[in-house]
Amino acid sequence: MTPFWRRLGDAAFALLPTLPYARPEKQACGGEAVVARGLSAGARPDGPAAFVGADFSIPCGCRTALIGPNGSGKSTLLRVLAGLVPPQAGEVLVAGAPPAPGRSRIAYLAQRPQLTEGFPLRLRRLVQMGTYAHHGWFEECRHGEAAVDGALARLGLTELADRPAHALSGGQLQRALLARALVQGAEVLLLDEPYAALDAASREIVERFLFDQGHAFTVLMATHDPADLARFDRILELRAGAVRTRHACSGHDHRHA
Amino acid sequence: MLDLLLEPLAEPFFVRALLAVALGGVTCACLGAYVVLRRMAFVSTALTHSILPGVVGALLLGFSPYVGALAAALLTAAGAAWLAARKGASEDSAIGVMLSVMFAAGVALMQQANSWRDFAGLLFGSVVAVGEADLRTIALTAAGVLFGLRVLHKELELAAFDEEYATLLGARPGLMRVVLLALVALGAVACVRLVGALLTTALFVIPAATGVLLGRTVPQVMAWGVGCALAGGVAGLYLSYHLPAVPSGAGIVLCCALPYLLARLFAPRR
Repeated sequence: MTPFWRRLGDAAFALLPTLPYARPEKQACGGEAVVARGLSAGARPDGPAAFVGADFSIPCGCRTALIGPNGSGKSTLLRVLAGLVPPQAGEVLVAGAPPAPGRSRIAYLAQRPQLTEGFPLRLRRLVQMGTYAHHGWFEECRHGEAAVDGALARLGLTELADRPAHALSGGQLQRALLARALVQGAEVLLLDEPYAALDAASREIVERFLFDQGHAFTVLMATHDPADLARFDRILELRAGAVRTRHACSGHDHRHA
Repeated sequence: MLDLLLEPLAEPFFVRALLAVALGGVTCACLGAYVVLRRMAFVSTALTHSILPGVVGALLLGFSPYVGALAAALLTAAGAAWLAARKGASEDSAIGVMLSVMFAAGVALMQQANSWRDFAGLLFGSVVAVGEADLRTIALTAAGVLFGLRVLHKELELAAFDEEYATLLGARPGLMRVVLLALVALGAVACVRLVGALLTTALFVIPAATGVLLGRTVPQVMAWGVGCALAGGVAGLYLSYHLPAVPSGAGIVLCCALPYLLARLFAPRR
C-alpha cells in the first residue's frame, strides 16, 4: 500500500514533460577514443598554459598511464578531456565528440572528490546517481536498479550499500565513484591518481576492475607509481609543456583478442 | 487539562493560525534541509531580513506586500551573487553587505511611513492576525514550493552533494542553486506573517538542523524537520495563547528549539 503523500508526490511528475540533461549519445566508440590536435590548456581558461600544442591519440580500449612531475598539467589535461575546463587552443575529441557537460560516455574521477561533508546519503544512492545520465529533468529515478546492483557487486560494495557515504574510507569512496561511472555507462575513464587514497585491498579490486575486464574501457590514468607502468598499454608523458607518447598500443587487437 | 487544548480551538483566529503554522512549518522544514546541508543559513537570513524593505516599500507605494517582499528578496539574492562574482570577493561578506544594506533601507522606509507600531508585526510576527486571504496565499505558496522540491529532488540533491558530477552530467548545479534561492525567497515571504522578518530564518534552520542530527537520507532529514516544525509550531501557539506575555512568533521559535536541543543531547552518533 503506497502512502497517499508518496502517490501525491509521484503525481506531480505527471504534470511535467521529461527533458534530457543533454542530447543522448548513440554512436558507439570505434577507432580513437581520444584525439587531440594542437591542444593548449591551463588550469584556468585565462591563466597561463600548462601545456602547448599537444598532439596525441588514444585508441579505444587502450589503458594509458599519464605521467609527469607535479604541476606538469596532468590534472588539467584530464579536466579538459572531461569537459570541465575549456581548451585555450586546438581541438580535442573524446569518444567522437568534443567534451562538454552531459557526455555520459566520459567519466572523470578527481584526485580529491569535492563532496559535501556529512551529507545524508547512503552508498547505494551515490552509485544510483550514475543512472541520472539516462534520466532527465522532472523524472523520478526508476530504471537502472539491476545496473546499480551489478556495479556494487563488481566493486565489492554490496555489503556496504546501506552505509552512509560520509562513513566510507577513502578506498571505499573511490570504489563507489568507479561504480557510479560504470552505472553511468562510461566508455572513457579519466582517473586522477586514483591509487592515492587506496589501501591494499581496495587497490586490488580497482586494478581488477580496470585491467581484467576484457578491455571494455579506455582508461587514462594519472599516476606517480613507476612500478605500476608495466600494466599499461601506453604511456603519455607530460614534461615542460609538451606531451609525448611512449610505446603505443592498438586498442582493437586487445578488444577482439 | 483537555480544556487547555480545546478551548482555543473555538476561536476562528486560532484555527487559522494553526493552519498557517502547519503549512509554513512544513514548507520551511523541507526547504531548510537543503539550506542547512548546503550551509546556506546566512543567505536565508539575508533573504528573510530583506523582506522588511520590500513590504514597507510596497505599503508606501500601494501594491501587494507579497510582491514587494518577493522583489526585495530576489534583489538581495541577485545583489549578493553580483558582489561575490568579483574575483577575490568572499560570498560571506557580500551577503553581509546586502543583509545590512537592505535592512537599513527597511528601517529608513519605516521612518518614512512614520509609524513603528504598525510594523511590529512585520518584524516579530503576528500569526493571530492571519486572515482568510493570507491563509490562501500561504497555502498556494506552500503547494508551489513543495511541488518544486518534489519534481527537482534528484537534481537538487545531486547539486548539493557533488556539484562537479552534476556539472559533468549536464544537470546544471548553478541553475539549481538559483532555483533553491528563489524557492527560499518564496517560502520566506509566505512565512513572514508567522514569526516576523527577524525570526523567519529560524524556521528554515532549526527544524532542518534537528533533521540533520536524526536523518540518514535527505527525505528522512525533511521528515524529522517537518515533525519538529509541526510540534514546535503548535506548542508555540498554545504557549502564547495561554501566556499572553509571550508573543506568538517568539513562542514558536522557542518551542522549535526544544526538539533540536533534545536531538543534540540524545541523537545517536552517525
